[in-house]
Amino acid sequence: MSDRSDILPTRQSMGRIADQLTDIPLHFPVERRWLIAMMFASGLLLLLMVSVVELFTRGVGIWGINIPVNWAFAIHNYVWWLGIGHAGTLISALLLLTGSEWRNSLNRFAETMTLFAVVCAGIYPILHLGRPWYVYWMFPYPATMGVWPQFRSPLEWDIWAVLTYLTVSLAFWYTGLIPDLAAARDRATRRGWQIFFGVTALGWRGSARHWLRWSQAYRLTAGLAVPLVVSVHSEVSLLFAAGQIPGWHSTIFPPYFVLGAAFSGFAVVSIIAVALRSWFGLENLVTNDHLDMLGKVLLATGLMTGYGYVFEVFDALYSGETHEIQTLVDRLAGAYAWTYWGAVLFNFIPLQALWWRVVRRSGWMLLLVSVSVVIGMWLERYMILVTSLYRDFLVSSWSHFTPSFWDWSTYFGTIGLFLVPFLIAIRLVPMISIFESKELLHEEKQEKQHA
Amino acid sequence: MRRRIDHQSMDRPRVWAGVEELSDDPRFQAFIEAEYPAVQEFSKTARREFLKLMGASFALAGLTGCEKSSFVAALPYVDQPASETIGLPRYYATAVSLDGYAQPVIATTYGGRPTKLDGNPGHPTTLGRSDIFMQSAVLQLYDPDRAAAPMRRGEPVSWADVESAIGLMRENWLADQGEGVRLLLGPTTSPTLLRQIAAFLKQFSKARVHLHSTAGLDARRQITAASYGQPLDQHYVLANCDVVVSLDDDFLGPGPDQVRNALGWSQSRRRYSDRPGNRLFMAESVPSATGALAVHRLIADARRMPALAEALADAVGVAGASRPELTDAEGRWIARAAAACKERPGRSLIVSGLSGGAAAGLWVARINQQIGNAGQTLKLTAPISGPENAGTLAELVSDINSGRVDSLVIFDGNPAYGAPGELGVGEAITRVRSSIHLGLQRDETGALCEWQLPLAHALESWSDARAVDGIATILQPVISPFYDVRTAHQIAGMLLGEVDPAADAAVRETWRASFGDAFDTRWKQALHDGFVEGAEPSITASPASNIIAPPGTTGDLDIVFRPDPTVWDGQFANIGWLQELPKTLTTVTWSNVVAVSPALAKRLAASNGDHVEVKIGERRVSGPVWIMPGQADNTVALFLGYGRTRAGRVGNDLGYNAYHVQASADPWLARGSLRKLDTSEDLAVTQLHHRLEGFDLAREVSPGQAERAPSDQASLYAPWPSSKNAWGMVIDLDSCIGCNACVAACTAENNVPVVGADQVRVGREMHWLRIARYYTGDIAEPRSFFEPVPCMHCEDAPCEMGCPVHATTHSPEGVNQMVYNRCIGTRTCSSYCPYKVRRFNFFDYRAPGDSSEHAAHNPDVTVRSRGVMEKCTYCTQRIEAAHVAADKENRPLRDGEVITACQQACPTKAIVFGDINDPNSEVSRLKRSSRHYVLLEELGTRPRTTYLARWRDDDDAESRQG
Repeated sequence: MSDRSDILPTRQSMGRIADQLTDIPLHFPVERRWLIAMMFASGLLLLLMVSVVELFTRGVGIWGINIPVNWAFAIHNYVWWLGIGHAGTLISALLLLTGSEWRNSLNRFAETMTLFAVVCAGIYPILHLGRPWYVYWMFPYPATMGVWPQFRSPLEWDIWAVLTYLTVSLAFWYTGLIPDLAAARDRATRRGWQIFFGVTALGWRGSARHWLRWSQAYRLTAGLAVPLVVSVHSEVSLLFAAGQIPGWHSTIFPPYFVLGAAFSGFAVVSIIAVALRSWFGLENLVTNDHLDMLGKVLLATGLMTGYGYVFEVFDALYSGETHEIQTLVDRLAGAYAWTYWGAVLFNFIPLQALWWRVVRRSGWMLLLVSVSVVIGMWLERYMILVTSLYRDFLVSSWSHFTPSFWDWSTYFGTIGLFLVPFLIAIRLVPMISIFESKELLHEEKQEKQHA
Repeated sequence: MRRRIDHQSMDRPRVWAGVEELSDDPRFQAFIEAEYPAVQEFSKTARREFLKLMGASFALAGLTGCEKSSFVAALPYVDQPASETIGLPRYYATAVSLDGYAQPVIATTYGGRPTKLDGNPGHPTTLGRSDIFMQSAVLQLYDPDRAAAPMRRGEPVSWADVESAIGLMRENWLADQGEGVRLLLGPTTSPTLLRQIAAFLKQFSKARVHLHSTAGLDARRQITAASYGQPLDQHYVLANCDVVVSLDDDFLGPGPDQVRNALGWSQSRRRYSDRPGNRLFMAESVPSATGALAVHRLIADARRMPALAEALADAVGVAGASRPELTDAEGRWIARAAAACKERPGRSLIVSGLSGGAAAGLWVARINQQIGNAGQTLKLTAPISGPENAGTLAELVSDINSGRVDSLVIFDGNPAYGAPGELGVGEAITRVRSSIHLGLQRDETGALCEWQLPLAHALESWSDARAVDGIATILQPVISPFYDVRTAHQIAGMLLGEVDPAADAAVRETWRASFGDAFDTRWKQALHDGFVEGAEPSITASPASNIIAPPGTTGDLDIVFRPDPTVWDGQFANIGWLQELPKTLTTVTWSNVVAVSPALAKRLAASNGDHVEVKIGERRVSGPVWIMPGQADNTVALFLGYGRTRAGRVGNDLGYNAYHVQASADPWLARGSLRKLDTSEDLAVTQLHHRLEGFDLAREVSPGQAERAPSDQASLYAPWPSSKNAWGMVIDLDSCIGCNACVAACTAENNVPVVGADQVRVGREMHWLRIARYYTGDIAEPRSFFEPVPCMHCEDAPCEMGCPVHATTHSPEGVNQMVYNRCIGTRTCSSYCPYKVRRFNFFDYRAPGDSSEHAAHNPDVTVRSRGVMEKCTYCTQRIEAAHVAADKENRPLRDGEVITACQQACPTKAIVFGDINDPNSEVSRLKRSSRHYVLLEELGTRPRTTYLARWRDDDDAESRQG
């Protein structure tokens, strides 16, 4: 680590970082922009509420699904949101354990993003149900009839995987937040803020014993979170791979999905990093070096996802199965070929720009590439679902799928569901980890002195 | 009202029993009066009527417009009546009718309400098989849009008013012997009605009867009249045929003859186990079910049929025939067909349809005579249906228009809608001073008539009718009428001057004459059996020796008219089951189409659903195009039965009215032109893709070859513990004629909801069983296949492992079960199902709570709510009922004891169900056939439903084999 160049400018003082970051919730600098964003997000959230009321009143028939495409937007967006929700924990936990301290400027908002993305994903399995009021039947509660969920079902695995992931992500996020909540408490001047941060800081005093316990807990949770990142999306992929439908029934699916998830997640982290940095003037903490690292990770996960694409084609051809090949042809040239080629175009073409250092270090260029990736990964999930189902084994059941207004409104509504709490979190908690940034700065300064 | 009670007490047939029997029990009456004081206000007869009605009211709560019972309640029995076990069905033999012919049925009733009709297995004509119309008749009974009370010019009146009005009319008619009186009938086989009509004509000697047939019965009679010198009915003895040559005659298609023909055809087809028992040659202009099964199918424009008939006559050596000019394809086909026929004298059959007209019909008659088929495979009888010597509808209209008609009685027909448009029947009706319409509904004709008299449904009526071969059935009511209706015989009785005729009086009178002294016994026997022995005797007739020139040709396209495959001539337009049934070759629902050839569609630059205008003479009609693979290039097919305006809430304003452009002189073939319009519509189609794309889903096997035996695929799962019975099904693709009877039967048996055109359009039809329709080869000259696809009941079912809540499970007997009340609607099972046989309740598809259609529900099958998956259960309720019956007798189940609804309905016995643990069961035997194969075997799902490949027996196959 000593041969690494400094990622944070060492000229800044430790106290200034704490002031700068706690000032964001305590004396919110961009009220107007925040309000506009909040109004937009609330509008979307309202749209979601209307859509959900309509859905629960009339049934899933309001969507465009049918037989054979009886899984579409609900599962599709579930996978998409869950994929996005991967990067936070992955960045924080994995990089924490490997000692990559550059994460310290990114982990807080990446984890926050993860939480709300998982919430967005998490409502879909409920919305998706024909009879959502019976969702609790998926849990092994002591029912009078003695029936249990069926543990062979990938949907059952899914419930557990997502809930575990959400719980651990929440624990990890909150644990990491405690020292900063205490910092905010100490700087709060208004009574309300003092109580809010005082309660949430759980009596943190910063004693050595506290730090020891905290450090143990934090690393332990991180150790739990990393395998979960892999397991949760592997499991999501089994939702498809466990069925025999051509285009789903493939062993490449678990790694393909995990990498795709990380890919889309890092893209969203990049978007948020660039946006927050420019909103709150945090160039001193989220530096061009950070963007450079994000760009590299994005490029790497993107290329690995691309490998999945190549192997999917190879798999189908190598299997020699007529139905697999039929699905491949449908993907490349069928009615929904636009989703395949759209996914290829948005995922991999702008991505190649990241080979250049100047692009990686430019905020807005990284932002454009990331937006493209998010769109591309959305199309990829659409492609995987619809192109496999709309023409499966029996020609007589071949059909089509057209999303309805309510499909779109539910989807855009969940963007509101993501943004509203995220904007509130920006308003309430320090979006960059204060103590970890200080820790990193301290280390860098020390190294400089030693040098 | 008194009348009906009287006949009840007078002589109650032993099989007609229901809740009203209870009304005799004083204890029950006391209970009713104590519990429901309002009943006391009824007069004695009215109270009895009320008790009688309860049977229907159990399920008909909320039925509106039923003036007899403003008070509706569902009452439980206090003491169980000796004759009935609550919850157990009772069966009655009776009949419904199609084009006047009896379709013998066994009606299943629960608590006095019929829920399911099936063929009468004892009936010699149909052997218990059914068609879609028979299956759906029960829904027609409960149609909420039926006429509920008599009306005069749209105002409700009482039957007393009707009777006094008829009395006044009769006085006028008696004055001039009925000079201006006309009766208009559809074809009818009812001996009672024909007797009553004859009596009427005797009373009023100057009155006349006219016949109005919508589905071509009169045209067939005209052809036989021209070919044999007298109107005759032709009966095909297909069971004895080795070769059948059809010139545009869809004899396996829908119609009164379908069941009998399908039975005979499949019997001869299955005569041998190692090769097909007959070969079918079909020349046709519009693809039909029959054409889909043909070994050699010739595509020829409708106009070519007389020439082809003459060419065939020439080839088999009929005197007077000369070989017309033929194309190469026609020449080859004629040579093959002629050679095959000559090889099998007396065991072949040549038939022709309506589009060839008398010109083709005469040649066909002579060919059958020449090669000895007459009397062997082709039987002739005097016309089964009447009335005899009736005038035509055209004559009636011209008489009305010349002012010679002042009273018109229309017996159960709808000529204002279902008659050639150029006749202007509707307008003519309004010119008649007093007009009376008898019908189930206040339809297009009823609305124009002065009097609209609601008829009782066949299932509510005492009547009689004869099947296609003349065997009579006495119709007995299986439910008390729940509207204020009368039977046609009662109204005919009023016309004859009877006062308040009893429902069964006329029918008894008819049969008293033929049963003679043994009346009581024979009457009861006839009601019990559902038929009276005695088919119409066949007669011999020689073909005429003249030559009939085919009509001249003008215009650029042949336009042929066909009754619609599911709503027939329009009379079934308000039956949701039939509207939603995919039409045999197109899978279109809820509309008719203008069927054109791929080449013509290309010339018009039209694709499916684009509107085209058909112009015949000066009349035009426009409808959506359907490109029919294998249709003759210059033939356009129009389908009757749509474009109704007063069918009811279900059937109004769907499709186009082809009657509008039908000509009255030659209603079945016309010349006309086609023009593409700028508009189009999205047709509600259940199968979007018909080309088989090289997959081996519907297989064929040549004689001498064999399908590879299904191999036991390795599985990670342990085999299921075996139980006493293991259910399995085999579907013989060689016998399937794509008639949809199985689908209709399944719909009726399993309470499958009707979802409507919009839901079908987005792909949400609910049928548990679909008939996949495929074609291979060139779109201009395809080979067609039918493949019924129910649930496969896989041993290693992908659906079962996908469900997170155990809502779909495996029964010990191998049935893949669906637990509706456990289902939360994740749809995983359907996503994983390789056969996509599962259906999902995307919305609440149940009929509204107050709909009378609930009464048609099978009480043994759960009605599914919103958000629940459903699918074929192998009629698990029937399996359980059979288990109970066997357990009571402490014996194992016998083969054939469990019959699924689809199997029961199938007219060709293509579906066989049974216990595969029993090596001697028919299903086990078929599973050992050389034609046996498993759909998508490579997936290792190990389905219980498997198939027998279709025979491929064309000459090319034979030469390959040789």
